[in-house]
Amino acid sequence: MTKPGAEFGEMHWLMDVLQSIDVGLVILDRDYKIQLWNSFMENHSGLCPDDVHDKPLFESFTDIPETWFRQKAEPVFELKTRTFTIWEQRPYLFKFKNSRPITGRSSTMYQNSSIMPLESIDGTVNHICLIIYDVTDIAVNQKDLTNANGHLAYLSQIDNLTELLNREFWEKEFKREHKRCIRTSTPCSLVMFDIDNFKTINNNHGHQAGDEVIRTLASMVRQTARETDICGRYGGEEFSILLVDTDATAATNFTERLRKKVAGLVVNIEEHEIQFTISAGIAEYSKKFEKPSLWLEAAEKALTHAKNNGRNKTTVYQSKE
Amino acid sequence: MGAYAMTMSLTEDQRDCYQEITNVAMGQAADRLARLLNVYVILPIPKVNMISASELHMALAGTTVSDNVSAVCQGFIGSGIAGEALLVFNDASFSDLAQLMNYKGPLDRHGELELLMDVSSVLIGACIHGLGEQIEVSFNQGHPVVLGQHCHVDDLVKSGNHQWSQTLAIEIHYEIEDVNISCDLLLLFTEDSVAKINQQVDYLLD
Repeated sequence: MTKPGAEFGEMHWLMDVLQSIDVGLVILDRDYKIQLWNSFMENHSGLCPDDVHDKPLFESFTDIPETWFRQKAEPVFELKTRTFTIWEQRPYLFKFKNSRPITGRSSTMYQNSSIMPLESIDGTVNHICLIIYDVTDIAVNQKDLTNANGHLAYLSQIDNLTELLNREFWEKEFKREHKRCIRTSTPCSLVMFDIDNFKTINNNHGHQAGDEVIRTLASMVRQTARETDICGRYGGEEFSILLVDTDATAATNFTERLRKKVAGLVVNIEEHEIQFTISAGIAEYSKKFEKPSLWLEAAEKALTHAKNNGRNKTTVYQSKE
Repeated sequence: MGAYAMTMSLTEDQRDCYQEITNVAMGQAADRLARLLNVYVILPIPKVNMISASELHMALAGTTVSDNVSAVCQGFIGSGIAGEALLVFNDASFSDLAQLMNYKGPLDRHGELELLMDVSSVLIGACIHGLGEQIEVSFNQGHPVVLGQHCHVDDLVKSGNHQWSQTLAIEIHYEIEDVNISCDLLLLFTEDSVAKINQQVDYLLD
C-alpha cells in the first residue's frame, strides 16, 4: 500500500472512532451553526446530521438558554481557553433520555460538557467543539448520597418515640442558645417538666400504655409550642423546652396552658382510660448562669420544688439574692 | 546537581525557575481574566514549596482571610507530569464578581456556582496552558469538580487517606483592583511528577 493510502486508512479509522465514541461531539462555527454532529448526538436526539447541519444550535434546541451558553462559549472563541459546565449547574444541555431507559432512575440524561477551541491554520478560532459526557450514574448516586446523609442527620437528631429532638441534639441547641443569650439581651426561658407518677401508669397499664402517654404528651407539646421553640425529650418521661424571646411570666403562661390541657386529657388505650398530670420548673436566663449546666440546674430545682409541693404544678426558679 | 538526587527538595535555582515559569503562566491567566472582566488584575509573586499532606491544610487555611470559601479543583496530566489545580474563592467575593461578570440572575447558591465555574474555567485553563507551554508539555485537563460551597477551608480536602506524602505546591493569590475580590490558585504536583518537572526545569536552566 502506498503512503497516502495508509494515511487515508488511518483517517478512516479516526472518523469511525469519532462517529461511534460514547460521548457527544458537536462542532459549531462563529455563528453557533452546527458543523459536525456525531452518531452519539444523532442517536440520542433522533436528528440526523442533515437535519441540523448549518442550522443555529439555539434554533434546533430551544431548551438551551442562549445567553447562558454564549457566556460559556464566548471565552473559548475570544481567549482560546477551554471551558466546562457540570451537571450541578444545569442537569443537561441537550434534553436526552436516560441511556438506561428501563433500569435507570432518572428520566433524562445528566450531562457534563466541555467546550474547546479549534484553531484554524492562521491561529484564529472560528470553530469550537462541544463535548457532551453522559454522567447520569454519577449524578444519581451523588443525589442518593446527599439524601441518605440528610436522612442520617435527621435520625441522629430526633427521638423516634416522640419525634421531638433527642437529648444529645437538644443539648447542642441549648448550648448554642446559651451562648446567644450571653451576647444579646433578649430574654429566654427554659422549661423542664415530667409526667407525675409515671411509674404507676407503667405498672398499672403496661409499658405500651406508658409509651402511648409519652407520645400523646409529645404531640400536645408540638401543638402548644411555637416553631421557634426548641423542644426535646430529655429523658424517659422528662421533657425540656427552650422558649426563645420569652421571659418568665410569658413562660409561665405557656407552661400553665400546657399543664391544664394535659390535666383535662383522657388517653384511651384498649379498655383503659388514662388520665395524667405534669409538673414543670421554669428558669429564665440570667447573667449568673455562666455555664449552660447552671441554667439547667436552676430549672431542675424549680421542677423538684413543684413535685414536692403536690405535683400538677408549675414553679418558677427564684434567685436567692 | 542532578534532579534525581533532589527529587524531594528544591534547589534555590530550581525554585527561582519555578517562580519565573509561574510568573509568566499566571500573567497570561491574569491577562485573560482582565480581558474577560475588563479590569486590572494585581499579581503578587507566587510561592513555591514542597509541602507534606498535613501542610496542605495549613496552606489552604493560609490562603483566605475569611472562614467560608467555595472551591473548584481540576486535574491535569501530560508527559508523566500530573497534578491538580485548586481555585479557592472567598465567599465575600461573589457579589462584586457577579457585577463584574455582568451576571443578572439571583446570587444564590446556584448563581454562585455559575460564577465559580466561569472564572475557574478561564483561570485554571490559562494557567495550566501557560505552564505547559513553557516546559513544553501539552496537558490534558480533567473535568472540574466542586470541592465545596460555603464551607470551612478545613473541610475542602478530606484529610487522612492521602495517596501521597509530599507535593510540590505553587500558590498564587489573585486580587482585582478596586473591588473586593480575592482568590487563590494552588497548583499541586504529585511526588513522581516533581523529578520530571525538575528535569525540564534543569534543562531550561542550562
